[in-house]
Amino acid sequence: METFALLLQGMVTSFEPLNLGLLIFGCLIGLFVGAMPGLGSVNGVAILIPITFIVPPTAAIIFLAAVYYGAMYGGAISSVMLGIPGASTAVATVFDGRPLAVKGEAMTALTAAAVGSFVGGTVSVILFTLFAPPLAEVALRFNAPETFALMVMAFATFVGLGGDDIPKTIFSILIGLVLSTIGLDLITGKPRLIFFNIPGFLHGINFLVLAIGIYGIGEMLWTLEETKGRVQMSKLSVNMKEVGRAFSALKKTFMAMNIGSFLGFFVGILPAAGATPASLMSYGITKQLSRNSKEFGTGVPAGVVAPECANNSASTGSMLPMLTLGIPGSPTTAILLGGMILWGLTPGPLLFTQQPEFVWGLIGSLYIANFFTLVLNIALIPAFLMVLRIPFAILAPVIFVLCVTGGYAPTQSLHDVWLMLLFGFGGYMLRKLDYPVAPAVLSIVLGPLAEKAMRQSLILSDGSMGIFFDFGSKPIAAVIMYIAIVLLIMPAFGPIYRKIFKKA
Amino acid sequence: MSIVSKFTVRRAEITVAVFLALCSAALMWKSAQNRITWSMEENMGAGFIPFYLSLGMFICTVITITKFILKKSPQSTNNEPFIDAVAFKFVSVTIISLVVLVFAIGYLGIYFSLIFFLGFYLRYFSEKSNSFILIFSLTTPILTFLFFEWLLKIPLPQGISEPLFYPVYDVMYGSSSLFMKWIYIIITVLSPSALVFLANRFIK
Repeated sequence: METFALLLQGMVTSFEPLNLGLLIFGCLIGLFVGAMPGLGSVNGVAILIPITFIVPPTAAIIFLAAVYYGAMYGGAISSVMLGIPGASTAVATVFDGRPLAVKGEAMTALTAAAVGSFVGGTVSVILFTLFAPPLAEVALRFNAPETFALMVMAFATFVGLGGDDIPKTIFSILIGLVLSTIGLDLITGKPRLIFFNIPGFLHGINFLVLAIGIYGIGEMLWTLEETKGRVQMSKLSVNMKEVGRAFSALKKTFMAMNIGSFLGFFVGILPAAGATPASLMSYGITKQLSRNSKEFGTGVPAGVVAPECANNSASTGSMLPMLTLGIPGSPTTAILLGGMILWGLTPGPLLFTQQPEFVWGLIGSLYIANFFTLVLNIALIPAFLMVLRIPFAILAPVIFVLCVTGGYAPTQSLHDVWLMLLFGFGGYMLRKLDYPVAPAVLSIVLGPLAEKAMRQSLILSDGSMGIFFDFGSKPIAAVIMYIAIVLLIMPAFGPIYRKIFKKA
Repeated sequence: MSIVSKFTVRRAEITVAVFLALCSAALMWKSAQNRITWSMEENMGAGFIPFYLSLGMFICTVITITKFILKKSPQSTNNEPFIDAVAFKFVSVTIISLVVLVFAIGYLGIYFSLIFFLGFYLRYFSEKSNSFILIFSLTTPILTFLFFEWLLKIPLPQGISEPLFYPVYDVMYGSSSLFMKWIYIIITVLSPSALVFLANRFIK
């Protein structure tokens, strides 16, 4: 009952004029950013964080959450129309969305994506409301050792996130962590890794610099290479007959909606898993369980609904560990988490008790953002198609301008802009050689938190690592630590399992 | 065969892996300038964490290099060009123009640098008319200025062009009414389009 009252209060908070205005504005920007090839929710949130310094934290997080939500919807638009995923979360949407558009059923594909996103969003918000408070209570028992164990578990799940090449994934995690150690040592205050004695390194490397570098500059270079400056547009007719046909095609997608919504939410909760693996997994499982699995890939609405349900559901799911435990479930929530720290809020167990208006304002706004985005999405499809007609040669410099100003603004230092360029080029090169870049961004955000938790724990235990493995005094930490170790070792055995199964 | 097509994925893989191994070694050396020991009795040295993380990076790159030598990674047997010639033109010109842009920001200031950057980039890559390019390259910095300096109150670097902005600040923070300020904003935003229109009309 208390939860319901708090939620209602949260919804009222999100209906305050400033919050509602920002919510609708955020949904619009999110749709726009998501629909832009090369720009995803992570870019939108990273670039827009500086804007939120002028409004209160509750309004700021509502705005960024709306951007996040909108981008999940918007990503499908360019996936369907161009065959280029608008964001990494919409990669799976391309598999069936594009063939549908090529067949002349773009309207069906876009409607399936919008309705799928709405269903996924609604289910996940309900699950969020039911599970967030109990999880927050559990999270209250988390001290430094438990936090560190959780961080280790998050790093362990990154290994599975990266792909097949485990050394490259671990390299990516480690480089993110090394970058996070640059600056002054937490305990001794000594400067660490100050290259060429450049004073700019003393304040450390802002996670935004790496995020904008990799996802802004790096992604643009990648897309420029793919598109060679051009964008080819496919045609779309919008009339009532098409709309009717599109909705009737959704009747057969009930199973895909269920799989996408529930699987998406639970994958979203996992630290560092996020919406991209959630959408890919949902697509794969829906395909395997479907009676007409062979038709997947040739243009079936269920193939669009499953990943779209999952990526929206996961985007809400990933808010849960971010708010209750302070662990981001995706690169975007990692940036939101960084934002919360910048606003002076401490993500973690105490957030629910100390800042209830912030947490429930966010959850309430998620309900409302979900509805507004559906309406906006359907209404604005023709308008977005016009934006997508802009050739990439014109779009790219505008995005570079946003990156340069976005990299400079937070710290007012050209040093950060240079670093951003360096990370952009580096990220582009590494991505071309199949080094996953997402784990590096997640690590630079979690690195300082993990180091602080570890060193506090070691001070508590007089320097004994046993504190993380002792079932007697720290059972939660020990259990999490052992799970983390299993998760860390598991991918190494993957090839062996595959060999055994092949032989069998 | 051009140099671009000779640089295969295979070559890129080993070049980058060796480069990253050297970087990891350099990071280890740099970390070792602080104390890298840690025991029960004494606190963790400031270099301990970065040193062992860099060591981990080094080990990962050594594994990547070993996989390359044993031809176990997909990149080690891929003899396709790392990047095709047309895409190379796009990517290299973009990278060079961005580097020049950031250099210019430090000297000329961001707003004037953006005019040149946008003008060059659009002229080089897009097939738009000169009028469009001129309007676009002048309006974007104006909007950037209004957004950052006026709305967000975040000053962006102005380099040697700073004195040129003093009259603008006088208007922004002066005593004129909000209505008048909006009039100034609208005139400023529309002025590039008006100038180009007039130029097209009267200059043959």
